[in-house]
Amino acid sequence: MLISVVEIFIMAIFAGITGSILGLGGGIIIVPALTLIFDIPVRTAVAASTVSIIATSTGAAVAYLNERLTNTRVAIWLEMGTSLGAVCGALIAAWLNQRFLFLLFGLLLSYAGYNMFRHRQEELPSGVTADALSEKLQLSGSYYDRMLAKKVDYQVTGTLTGLVLMFFSGIVASILGIGAGLFKVPAMDQVMRIPFKVSSATSNFMIGVTAVSGAVVYFARGDVDPLVTGPVILGVLVGAMIGAKLMVRLKSSTIRKFFIPLIIYTAIQMFYRGLCK
Amino acid sequence: MTSSTTKKHTAIEAVLARLIWSGSMLSAILLAAGIVVMLTGSSVTATRFISAGIVTLMATPIIRVLAAGLIFTRERDWLFAVFCLVVLCTLAVGVFLGTSFN
Repeated sequence: MLISVVEIFIMAIFAGITGSILGLGGGIIIVPALTLIFDIPVRTAVAASTVSIIATSTGAAVAYLNERLTNTRVAIWLEMGTSLGAVCGALIAAWLNQRFLFLLFGLLLSYAGYNMFRHRQEELPSGVTADALSEKLQLSGSYYDRMLAKKVDYQVTGTLTGLVLMFFSGIVASILGIGAGLFKVPAMDQVMRIPFKVSSATSNFMIGVTAVSGAVVYFARGDVDPLVTGPVILGVLVGAMIGAKLMVRLKSSTIRKFFIPLIIYTAIQMFYRGLCK
Repeated sequence: MTSSTTKKHTAIEAVLARLIWSGSMLSAILLAAGIVVMLTGSSVTATRFISAGIVTLMATPIIRVLAAGLIFTRERDWLFAVFCLVVLCTLAVGVFLGTSFN
C-alpha cells in the first residue's frame, strides 16, 4: 500500500505542476492515470480529479496573487459566465446532442490551437485598446514580469465576448467534469488579448471556483474516496505550489509551447468522441 | 489607471493570498496526518482526517469569492459586490440541483 500511495502522490505532484503552469485543472492527467495505471474505478477517479482541480487552483493561487498575475476583477466578471454555464450544462445535459457538442468543441479547440500556434513567438499582446465595458469595469492591470525584467501594463478588450465564451466553457466543464481551463486560457489570450501569464493565472483562480459545486455534489453523494483522493490532492497541492514558482520564471512563449500539444491532443479526443463513440 | 485603484487591487489580492494560504496549509496538514495514519493502519481515523482536509480545501474557493465580495462592498464597488453575489448564488444552485436530482 505504501508503494501505491507514494506512486499516486508523485503522479499527482506532476499533474499539479503541469496544471498550475498552464492554468488547467490537471484532470487530463489524473483521470487516465488513476484508471489506467492504478486500476481505480472511473467514478472514483473523476470525483478525485474534480476535487484536485480545487487543489491546483488553491495551491498556485497564493503565488499568483502575490506576483499580481491574477486579475481578480477579470476573474470575478468571467466567473459569472462559467458558473451560470455550469448550472445550465447540468440542466440541459440530458437533452443535448452530445455528439454534436463534442464535434463543436473539437472545432473550437482546433481553431484556438491554430491561433496559438500562429502567435507562438508572441511574448506580450501589443496595440490593445480597452473596449467601453472594460473601461467601465476597470479591468486593466499590471504586473512585474521577472523574465522580461519589466513592469507590464495591459488593457483588456472583448469583454462581453469573453463572458459569453466562459458561459460555454462552463457548460463543457459540467458535462465533461473538467475545469475547462483549456477553453478559458485561449479565450482570455486570444479574444480578450490578456497577457498569457495573466490568462493562465486568472484561469487558475477561476477553475477552483467552477469546480466547487461539482466537488460538493460528488462529496455529498459519497463518490469521493478519501483513501484515494487524500494522496491525490496532497500531491496536487504540493505540485501546484512548485508549478506556480516555476511559472513566474518562464517566458510566455515557452508556456504557450507546452499548451499547444495539450490543446491538439484534447481536440483530437473530442473529435474521436464525436465521431466514433 | 489611477493610483487609488492600484492600491485597491493590491489590498484585495493581499487579503485573498493570506486567506488562501491559511486554507491550503490547514488542508495540507490534515491530509498529511490522514495519510500517515492510513499507512500505519487505522483507516477509520484516516478517513476522518482526510475528509476534514478535503472539506477545508473545498471551502477555499467559496471563501475566496465571499471575501472578494466583502472587500468590494467595503470599497462601495457595488457592481463587483453584486457580481460576487451572483457567483455565490449560482454555486449554491449548482449544489442544490446536483444533490437533489442525481
